Amino acid sequence: MILIGENINIMSLTIGPAFKERNPRPVQELARAEAEAGVDYLDLNIGPARKAGDELMTWVVNTVQEVTDKPLSLDTTNPVAMEAGLKVAKSKPLINSISLQPDRLGQGLPLAKQYNADLIALLWGAEGMPRDANERAMHAVNFVYQANEMGIPNENIWIDPIVSPVSVEINQVKALIEFMAMLADIAPACKSVVGLSNISNGTPAHLRPWLNRTYLVMMLKYGLHSAIVDAFDNDLMALVRGQKPEIVRLVHRMMDGEKPDLASLSEEEVKYAKTVRVLTGESLYSHSWLEI
Amino acid sequence: MAFEVPKTAYSGQIKEIKLGQGDKAVTVGGESSYPFYLFEGEMPHLPRIAMEVYDCPPEEWPEAALEPFAGVTDDPVAWAKKCLSDYGAEMICLQLLSTDPNGLDRGADEAAEVVKKVADAIDVPLIVWGTANHDKDTEVLRKVAELCQDKSLILGPVEEADHKKIGAAAIGYQHTVVASTPIDINLAKQLTILLGNLGVPDELIVMDPTVSGIGYGIEYCYSVMERMRMAALTQQDDKLQFPIICNIAKETWKTKEAKISEAEDPRMGDVKKRGILLEAMSAMAMLLAGGDVLIMRHPEAIKLVREMIAELTKA
Repeated sequence: MILIGENINIMSLTIGPAFKERNPRPVQELARAEAEAGVDYLDLNIGPARKAGDELMTWVVNTVQEVTDKPLSLDTTNPVAMEAGLKVAKSKPLINSISLQPDRLGQGLPLAKQYNADLIALLWGAEGMPRDANERAMHAVNFVYQANEMGIPNENIWIDPIVSPVSVEINQVKALIEFMAMLADIAPACKSVVGLSNISNGTPAHLRPWLNRTYLVMMLKYGLHSAIVDAFDNDLMALVRGQKPEIVRLVHRMMDGEKPDLASLSEEEVKYAKTVRVLTGESLYSHSWLEI
Repeated sequence: MAFEVPKTAYSGQIKEIKLGQGDKAVTVGGESSYPFYLFEGEMPHLPRIAMEVYDCPPEEWPEAALEPFAGVTDDPVAWAKKCLSDYGAEMICLQLLSTDPNGLDRGADEAAEVVKKVADAIDVPLIVWGTANHDKDTEVLRKVAELCQDKSLILGPVEEADHKKIGAAAIGYQHTVVASTPIDINLAKQLTILLGNLGVPDELIVMDPTVSGIGYGIEYCYSVMERMRMAALTQQDDKLQFPIICNIAKETWKTKEAKISEAEDPRMGDVKKRGILLEAMSAMAMLLAGGDVLIMRHPEAIKLVREMIAELTKA
């Protein structure tokens, strides 16, 4: 599976100022560290970048490419900045992202075509967030159809079904898993991608990795292709790289309806088991979910 | 094959909580089905209504709400007694409006003395409600807990930010706490877990999901309460199996719709009838979502809700 490091982000307290001052050091240090941590892509989130976004994106891409040859995920809603990044990216870049809102689609698809870039198809419709698995499917079919019309092949399309926080709406957490199970049938050869950390938005920081990792393993059951993740979560990396097969088996068995006796599990397994219960909606989330 | 009415599979039950003490103590909760689904389970204790008394004369009430309490609104003891003798109140809720730091800012000692006088004058369960200012409520409710230590009061609102200090006082002096959270089921669960961690026994906990009146987001409150009951009754979520208390009266009577006169806007109709109906209908919606205790104001609104409860539960 492909991991995209999320850490180079304008919201970061070190990266934000570095972007502003065009100070390459913090950006390059982080890029190097993410690459060493083992991610496959680096996400470069420059935000909406309304003013001189093209200059900023060009600088960030060049700055990062000086220290790593990992492919880049260009993360901005500014199409001018996006194009500037596509022009200077060396390996086949990933456009993050194009939603189904008509203006975004109208500006994004031609760029993807022109630069033969991969693109993230964000299933965010004209009316906002899809309400369930079926609306996600409808949006996915619609997106793929329009992209194909432009001559963009399915292989270049990474579908993002939009992760929502467990503390906001459990039905959306379940709907995404349901959609993942359908995706291979409705959009053959398309890839999938999620912004994983959003599952734990609103959760106390030290507990967030449990939700992130468990949800990732749940989506792996249905062949998730890639995820945008915290590059420095070592346990997450170990799970994805096949170093914790017993945890993966436990999560998948529970998704198939098995109810393991917690007393028979290790301390680590108990935490995963409790998190599966919360993410499948069997048990209602609270910040103390691991303690009860 | 004969048609069979589908039934919900319940796996949990709301805890039975005793409020107050002595002959007039009431027990709430105990439901084994959704509210008034008597064809699927039991509702061993009917919802209760606590009548509001304020610890200082209310200045912003519409005339219709003041009328039934004419002559007693400057004396909480007389007011509480009138609720019992004239309107048959089975519980009282003393709202400590005078302690509001943005208002009269009455001190904890003085406020607690008033609570004690009211508690001594009545034999029905007494809910004591602060101003949701964490520092002030901590100060006031702790003092109240101590001064009224043999009274089995119900103290609220107890929120995450002040639950430790007020919770500790409640454990020490055996009062019930109202676990209050801002219209969020996950936070509601979290607070009862925290109270449990603190050592507050289950039998001293009721929940307040935060409610609002018709036209002011009541559907969100309804939905959160409904989901709380679904988790409690069908998912055995024992951290949500507590009776629910709804502080609804002040949410309806403070609205523009309850206050604007007919002369000002003839389309709105009779102001008194309108205020009463807003309160009664908001309260009824809360009961249908799972409310066990309603804090209400107008005797006629209370009468309407009592009639509805009787209708819905008659054999």
